[in-house]
Amino acid sequence: MRFTFTEEQNRFRQEVRDFLEAELEAGTFNVSSAGLVGPVSREFSRKMAERGWIGITWPREYGGQGRGYVDKMILMEELFKVQAPVGYHFSADRQVGPALMHFGSDWQKDYFLPRIVRAEDDIEFCLLFSEPNAGSDLASVATKAEKDGDFYVINGQKVWTSRGHSAAYGWLLARTSFDSSVPNHRTCSEFIVHMKTPGITVRPLINIVGEHSFNEVFFDDARIHKKYLVGKENEGFKQIMAQVDYERGGIERLMQNYPVYDRLRKYVAHLKNDDLEPERYAWMKDSMAQLEIEFNIGRLLCYYTAWMVDQGKTVSSQAAMTKAFCTQYEQRVNDVAMRILGPISQIRKVSGWSPSPFIEDLVESYLWGPSYTLQGGSVEVLKNIVAQRGLGLPRN
Amino acid sequence: MDFSLNEETILLRSSARRYLKEHCPTSFVREMAKDEQGFSRAMWKEMAELGWLGLSYEETYGGTGGSLLDLAILMEEMGKALLPSPFFCCIVLAGLVINEAGNAQLKEDYLPQMIRGEKILTLASLDERGRYDHRVPKTEVRDHGDGLCVMNGTRILVPYAHVAEEILVCADYTDSKKHGPTIFRTLRESGQKILPAETLTGEKLSIVLYEDTKLSSTDVLGSPGQGSSYIEKILPKAVICKCAEMVGGLDRVVEMTVQYMKERVQFGRPLGALQAVQHYCADMATYLESSRLIAYQAASLLSECISCEKEIAIAKAWCSDAYKKCSWIAHQLHGGIGFTEEHDLHLYYQHAKASELMFGDSFFHRMEVARQMGY
Repeated sequence: MRFTFTEEQNRFRQEVRDFLEAELEAGTFNVSSAGLVGPVSREFSRKMAERGWIGITWPREYGGQGRGYVDKMILMEELFKVQAPVGYHFSADRQVGPALMHFGSDWQKDYFLPRIVRAEDDIEFCLLFSEPNAGSDLASVATKAEKDGDFYVINGQKVWTSRGHSAAYGWLLARTSFDSSVPNHRTCSEFIVHMKTPGITVRPLINIVGEHSFNEVFFDDARIHKKYLVGKENEGFKQIMAQVDYERGGIERLMQNYPVYDRLRKYVAHLKNDDLEPERYAWMKDSMAQLEIEFNIGRLLCYYTAWMVDQGKTVSSQAAMTKAFCTQYEQRVNDVAMRILGPISQIRKVSGWSPSPFIEDLVESYLWGPSYTLQGGSVEVLKNIVAQRGLGLPRN
Repeated sequence: MDFSLNEETILLRSSARRYLKEHCPTSFVREMAKDEQGFSRAMWKEMAELGWLGLSYEETYGGTGGSLLDLAILMEEMGKALLPSPFFCCIVLAGLVINEAGNAQLKEDYLPQMIRGEKILTLASLDERGRYDHRVPKTEVRDHGDGLCVMNGTRILVPYAHVAEEILVCADYTDSKKHGPTIFRTLRESGQKILPAETLTGEKLSIVLYEDTKLSSTDVLGSPGQGSSYIEKILPKAVICKCAEMVGGLDRVVEMTVQYMKERVQFGRPLGALQAVQHYCADMATYLESSRLIAYQAASLLSECISCEKEIAIAKAWCSDAYKKCSWIAHQLHGGIGFTEEHDLHLYYQHAKASELMFGDSFFHRMEVARQMGY
């Protein structure tokens, strides 16, 4: 048992830090707790690609580095500390690639994987899973993919599609079996769709932050060639359940508002004790210590999950537990931070007068808060997974 | 990062688990709670033979030189079985104090006998207010010259004081020249009063009254004035062992509750099929997993002599809350049956609270975390 990193891993972490420091100094991006997976910058993704940091866990034959998930966790931790703009390659790196390696055809692997790893033009992916009537109950998707010769004809509607307006490709879950006697989870298939396919319409949705982060996507007789079917027909749901483990075990769910936490720690450390009522300062200390405890535990859970993946173990329950724990911590960070900062923490950047960059970030972060425990599986769905798959309780 | 235990540690764990399963069912725990001695001498001897008593001591003194992590793993199994024994007070507390305080001669005088199971020691850590007073001890020893020392003070919740050959006390030692926290041993024949305390758990705890108790200046262990520093040195290890013990108890609580939720049928199906119940169970599983990781982390880091004050404080703060909250959830899910004397759950409910209160509760350790953060 060893709770420290190897020399090589420490060097790797330092290498990532040096790179990010240089980028920050050059003004490539700013440290701020924006949106879900950080801003999109193809240029930045290119630089990461040059260093081999996209697809870092993928086998070399697909252009990856063949490194472990603990190494990837180190990379992610450093990237999210400064909220590096990894949005362009993020979904493809985290989910699409591993899914293709598991279930994709040779053609799909040969075509997509090297392009993802190189962060080429037009390789950003969005995820077309949720629908107005299929949220937590993902297996009940109603979007249809009907076979017509060598093509599938897609009709239906997707929602909450982050980056749907900029992505070149979508990763689609659609119904391919219409036999009502078959259980829902054996009726769906996965497809890759080019977002410019005729018949696809993307409409923006404005979230409570006031930002255009996600979209509605409409399919109206959109035709996609059968070579874009991923894996087996009607096994899409099973495939997705394997994929989301990668989505859920990541440290980005602990650190999507890390700069808020980091600045809060410093803010409290610099408070002049004499200006404060002792009771209030005692409360702050207690609250901060509790957050620090939760952060450290969340981080351990993330690394433990990564280690389990490296050991070839099934991580469904572990990843679900990690994400449920971590996202709830993130919400508490925003809450405690606003209470410590007080009424001034409500002032948004657009006011024209801003008390500090920290506060600008904090108020946005608080607005993003409700999404933390919903995206990628609500806390309740995740707890079901822990209970059923981890503890073996009966399905309800 | 490597979360796997090495072969020897796995072996230790499985042998401990096997032994305790066979020799320490909860019927034994209950029996010992009623027993005057509160533990089995025969079992203590067997524990010595299994190498448990010397696990974390040097080979020179009959130990096996195991790591703190090994000790923690053993404590976890003991916590799971709620083993009634003087292991914690003797091997983890008093023994380690001797190990810190003693020169080679003193260690030679104490440790081999202790490790062979022939000498039971305990440490009286709490003053009459229930505080760990080693920095400014409330118990006093006056040196009257000619080797005569007189001790006055009250120690409470002293584990196994009624059977210990010696009770170690960190007392304020005053002679003609100086005074300061100093470790004293008090023997059975020293004449202190030992009153058995009935407490929340069935543990054998006593109140020890020193009323002009006559000691000798040769009863000083280690250097006079250094008592507090010895205690401070062993406290991190004691806290980690306590955390590991809590993780063991927590493990059993989760195990028995999840099992019951699979078996107990209401509304025509197992209770565990209800989502409200599943979410409670998932919360418990999360508390268990996180507590184990955080306790192992502290044990592992300290085993490698890596400074980890913050990690230790995090572990005790988290494990204290986690074990207690899970014991509440477990009672809620067990319903009426868990509230009966015959069911085992209450043993853990009590153990969780008692463990929380030892060596500082979660608030105490959060204040330590805050200090480590620079607040």
